[in-house]
Amino acid sequence: MRKVSLARRRPLSLNSRVMLFVAVAIGLSLLMIGHLVQNEVERHFAEQDADELVVITRAVEKALQMAKDQALAPEDALARAVSGHHGVYFQVWDDAGRLVYSSVDTGSLPQANTYPPVDRIQVDNLYTWQSDGKTYRGTATDTRIGGQDYRIIAAIDMDFHIHFLENFRRSLWVIMVAAGAITLLAAGYGVHQGHAPIRALSESMGNVQADRLHVRLDPDTVPGELKTLVDSFNHMISRLEDSFARLSHFSADIAHELRTPLTNLITQTQVGLAKSRSLEEYRELLYSNLEEQERLTKMVNDMLWLAQSEHGLLKPVWEPLDLAREVRELFDFFEALAEEKQIELVSEGKTPIIQGDRAMLRRALSNLLSNALRHTSEGGRVLVGLALSGEGGALLSVQNPGPKIPAEHLPRIFDRFYRIDPSRQRQSEGTGLGLAIVKSIVEAHEGNIKVISERDVTRFTISLPSIADAEVSATGESDESTDHR
Amino acid sequence: MRLLVVEDEIKTGDYVQQGLTEAGFLVTLARNGLDGHHLAMTETFDLLVLDVMLPDVDGWRIVQSLREAGRQTPVLFLTARDSVDDRVKGLELGADDYLVKPFAFAELLARVRTLLRRSTVPVMTDQIKVADLTLDLPRHRATRAGRKINLSHKEFCLLELLVRRQGEVLPRSLIASQVWDMNFDSDTNVIDVAIRRLRAKIDDDFEPKLIHTVRGMGYKLEVEDDHEES
Repeated sequence: MRKVSLARRRPLSLNSRVMLFVAVAIGLSLLMIGHLVQNEVERHFAEQDADELVVITRAVEKALQMAKDQALAPEDALARAVSGHHGVYFQVWDDAGRLVYSSVDTGSLPQANTYPPVDRIQVDNLYTWQSDGKTYRGTATDTRIGGQDYRIIAAIDMDFHIHFLENFRRSLWVIMVAAGAITLLAAGYGVHQGHAPIRALSESMGNVQADRLHVRLDPDTVPGELKTLVDSFNHMISRLEDSFARLSHFSADIAHELRTPLTNLITQTQVGLAKSRSLEEYRELLYSNLEEQERLTKMVNDMLWLAQSEHGLLKPVWEPLDLAREVRELFDFFEALAEEKQIELVSEGKTPIIQGDRAMLRRALSNLLSNALRHTSEGGRVLVGLALSGEGGALLSVQNPGPKIPAEHLPRIFDRFYRIDPSRQRQSEGTGLGLAIVKSIVEAHEGNIKVISERDVTRFTISLPSIADAEVSATGESDESTDHR
Repeated sequence: MRLLVVEDEIKTGDYVQQGLTEAGFLVTLARNGLDGHHLAMTETFDLLVLDVMLPDVDGWRIVQSLREAGRQTPVLFLTARDSVDDRVKGLELGADDYLVKPFAFAELLARVRTLLRRSTVPVMTDQIKVADLTLDLPRHRATRAGRKINLSHKEFCLLELLVRRQGEVLPRSLIASQVWDMNFDSDTNVIDVAIRRLRAKIDDDFEPKLIHTVRGMGYKLEVEDDHEES
C-alpha cells in the first residue's frame, strides 16, 4: 500500500484542498469588493467635480449675462464671477477664437479648440489633464449670451482628490489583505477543528488490536458524515473478529486433536517399555500404536486436502456425471452399514448430466451420507433428493431425521473440527473434518452448500452449477488410474 | 521377484526394504537418485518403487530414461505431494501407480502385488477354490461344503477379491477402491461391516475360518495351518 502511494503522487491533503478553495474564494471576493469601493469613491469625487464645474459654468454665464445687461466690460464681471471658490479656474473665449478672460495663466488650461464642447456637463464627459505638475479636471461648453457666442472652459485642481484617493486606496488594500489573512487563519483553524473527529476516530481505530477485536466504535459519537465510515469499520472489525475467532479455535482444536493421540501414543509406549513384557503384550502395544498413528495420518491427509483447497489447488478433473448413478453407487457402498442399523436409503428425482470430478463428488457425497447415517436412529430413513436447479445446474440434498440442530451452530457446522456438542470429543469415527471437506469440494466445483435443520429433520443441499463445456478442457485421465491412497 | 526401491529418506528406505523383503521380495535399495538411475538402467527389475523428490536425479527423470530406453518395467511412485498436477505428470511420464506419503505399508504391499500381477498373464478360470469354498465366477455363485451361499452382488465381488488375493493383507482403502470404486479414505466403518456380514455367511457355520482380521492393516483370506495370527 505504502509503496504504491509513494510511486504515485499522494493526493493533496484534505486541509490543503479546503484551504486552497477558501483562499481563492476569499481572495476573489475581497478583490471584487475592493475594486467596487474604490470605483465608487472615485466616481463620487468625479460627480462632485462635475457639480462644481456646472456651478462654475453657471456663474460664468451669469457674469457674462450681467456684463451684457449692465453693459460692463466682460472682463470685470468675470473677474468676480467665481470668488469664494478655491482651486477653480476658467477661461472664456468668443466665437472669433479670442480669449475674453482667463482666471489663470493661459498655459495651465488647454486652448479652446483642444477639447470639443459638451452639451451637458456630466461625470463621464469630463476631461482630465496635467499641467505645471498639477492635475486638472475640466470641461468645455458653448453658450450664447446676448447674440454673442462664447466658449467657456472650466477646470478644477484635483490634486487634493488624488491625494485623498491614494491614501484611501492604500488603507483599503491594507484592510482587505488583513481581512483576508484573518479569514484564512480562521478558516484554517475551523478546518483543523472540523477534522478533530477524524483524528479522534483514527486514534480509536489505531487502538483496535488483534487481541481486542471486540472493541466497537460508537457511531452516535461522531458527526453524521463519519457515521457510514464508522459503520463500515465496525462491520470490517466484526468480520475480522469472526475469522480470527475461527482461526484461533482452529489452532486450539488442532492442538487438542493432535494432543490426544500423541498422549495416548507416548503413554502407552512408555508404560509398555517400563518393564519387560511378553511378546503378545508388545504386539498389542504396537497394534494400539498403529491405530493412533493411522488416525493421525488420516487427520494430516485431510488437513492437507483442506490446505490445498484453501490455496485453490483442488482442481477437479472434469467429466460428465450422472448424479443419480453416483448416488446408486454410493448406496451400494453404504448398503451394509445401513442395513445393519436398519436404516432405509432412498433416492428420488434426477438431474441432467453435469460436469464434475467423480472421485471428489463421491467423497463429498460419502461424507454427507456417513454423517446422515451416524445421526439417524435405528429404523429411520435417509433421503437423497436430486433436482434441477433454477440456473440449469443440479441440486442434491441429503436429508436425515434427527433432533433439530440449534440455529447458532448452523453457520459453523462446516468449520474444521467444529462439534455441536463439545463434550462429544473424538468419537470412534471421523476426524471432525468431514463437512469441511464436503464444503471444499463443492466450492472447487463452484457450487455452494447449505444446511437447514427443522424440528425432526436435517437437510444438506448442494447446488452445483452447470459448467460450460468450454471450461472443461482437459478431461484428463480415466478414474481407474487415479486410485491413489 | 526383484524390486528396486529408490528412497533418500533413511528410515523410510530401511523399513520399506525390510517390509518388502519379509514379504518375500528381493529388494535392492538405492539411497539417492544417481545410484537409482544407474541401477534402473543397468540391471533388470520386476518393479521400481521411486521416491519423486530426490536431491539429485528425481523419480521422474528415472522413469523418463527408462521409458526412452524402451523398458516397460512397472513403476510405483512415492510422493509427499498430493496434487492433481503431480499425479497427471507422473502418469504421463509412464508411472503405473501413485502412493502419497504418509502411506500405510499394507497399502504399499497391496499396490506392489497388484502391479506385479498386472504384468503377468491373468489366470482365466471359471472356478476358484479355497479349502471347501468354491466360487463360480460366471454365475456369481458361492458354495461352501456343498451348501449354496446367498450373496449380494457386492458381497460376491468382495469375496472374489479376497479369494483371488488369498494370503495377502488387503487394506480397507484398497477393498473400497476395488469393490466399490470408492477412491478415498472413508470416515466410516463400511468395510468392517461388509466383512462382518460376509463372514456371517461364509465363516460362521463352517470350519476352518477363512476371513481374518489383521489388526491395524486390513483383512485377508487364508487357510491357516498354524496359529500365528490371533
